[in-house]
Amino acid sequence: MRAAAEVTIYLPEPLRTYAGGIVELPIRAAAVRDMLGRLEQTQPVLHRNVCDETGAVRRHLNIFVNADNIRDRDGLDTALKRGDVVTIVPAVSGG
Amino acid sequence: MLTIGTKKGVFVAEAPKSRRIFALRGPFGPGVPVYSTLIDTRGTPRLYASSCNPFFGMKVLRSTDLGKSFKETKAAPAFPKEDGRALINIWSLEPGSEPKDLWCGVEPASLFRSLDGGDSWEMVPGISNHEHARKWNPGNGGLCMHTIIRDGNRMHLGISTGGHYLSEDGGRTFRAANTGVGAGFQPDPYPEFGQCVHKIVRHDAAPGRLYMQNHGGWAEWSGPGGPRPDIGVLRSDDHGKSWRSIAKGLPTDFGFPIVVHPHDPDTVYVLPLEPMTRTCPGGAPAVWRSENGGDSWKRLAHGLPKKQSYFTILRDAMTIDDLKTPALYFGTTTGQLWIGREGGEQFDCLFDALPPIHNVKVAVV
Repeated sequence: MRAAAEVTIYLPEPLRTYAGGIVELPIRAAAVRDMLGRLEQTQPVLHRNVCDETGAVRRHLNIFVNADNIRDRDGLDTALKRGDVVTIVPAVSGG
Repeated sequence: MLTIGTKKGVFVAEAPKSRRIFALRGPFGPGVPVYSTLIDTRGTPRLYASSCNPFFGMKVLRSTDLGKSFKETKAAPAFPKEDGRALINIWSLEPGSEPKDLWCGVEPASLFRSLDGGDSWEMVPGISNHEHARKWNPGNGGLCMHTIIRDGNRMHLGISTGGHYLSEDGGRTFRAANTGVGAGFQPDPYPEFGQCVHKIVRHDAAPGRLYMQNHGGWAEWSGPGGPRPDIGVLRSDDHGKSWRSIAKGLPTDFGFPIVVHPHDPDTVYVLPLEPMTRTCPGGAPAVWRSENGGDSWKRLAHGLPKKQSYFTILRDAMTIDDLKTPALYFGTTTGQLWIGREGGEQFDCLFDALPPIHNVKVAVV
């Protein structure tokens, strides 16, 4: 089992209000799924904005690890290593 | 005071009782669709708006300063984790019996209740886990619970597409009550449930009577089951247990909103739309009013465009105030807000270029 690594979640402006106004959130996690689980425990209000009641990442959000969309890697199983920056970005959609 | 839920947030409009000029504020919750609003006049007035954020999920906004500012409540309705469903939209907010008691209808069709003014919510299992719930299907707008009507220990719910459900024990248990409510879009036009009910209204002065705008527009149907000419506009006189058509005399029985006069339960308003395009018939908008409980109808269009106006009015986008001489209000999906003065005798456009309007509510505060 991969060890948890210290990574940073970068929060877009609309999400900062749900995390006490911070821009960057340090967190220890081995993979993105693990990171979201820890987020649910430590930042439940923020987590509800990122994931729905079933635990699925909201449809119009994208999660990047550094420059890579997790869709192009291993999805929620994308591994994290020390120093990675995880960015949560609203998709380009709407009208 | 008006609350106007739009595709781009909620607006608040205020006017003195003359209602000549309205001052507009907003948008609040900018950029986020608002499908339901509530002006709660119990005690100190509170305004509520659903903020249906496609990126970050559903929120409930609350204003305690008459719509000068809105803040998120501490929580929005959410399904229990083990339920397996996820909230898609919030379609209705209605006051309950206690001062901070709220009911909320959502998509996928389910009912929630808050006893603390929207800061916490509990799913109401009697309808949310009803044996029919997993068999309902979404209409074009989604599988929404759009109507919540309380009448003492009775509760009426409108679900698209699920039909009309009735509780006679304060919302603990519900049963489908759709006798006479047609479903033109399936071979059996009178199923037990699954109708595409668009809106239901009632009046305190007429116990047992309800009016319904159902999904009509099937007069020309020639397939299995034959024509369904009059399933769109309906009336019940037995608390919704059975329904009959009152559509005779209307240009079409398709439409979304239905409104009852605040001082006369026999006076009811609809806004017929072309079934195929869901726009005003012939490009000439008109509200139709019955003053005899649906036996006959009169076209009201003075002040409305006479041609080339193909707008749509959604289910919660028409309402009426309760002043001595009430005014009707409706908002269009092209962003116009109209007032029908003298009970709809004279229409004027209050605002010409708002975002697409989903919802209009009015109250005297």
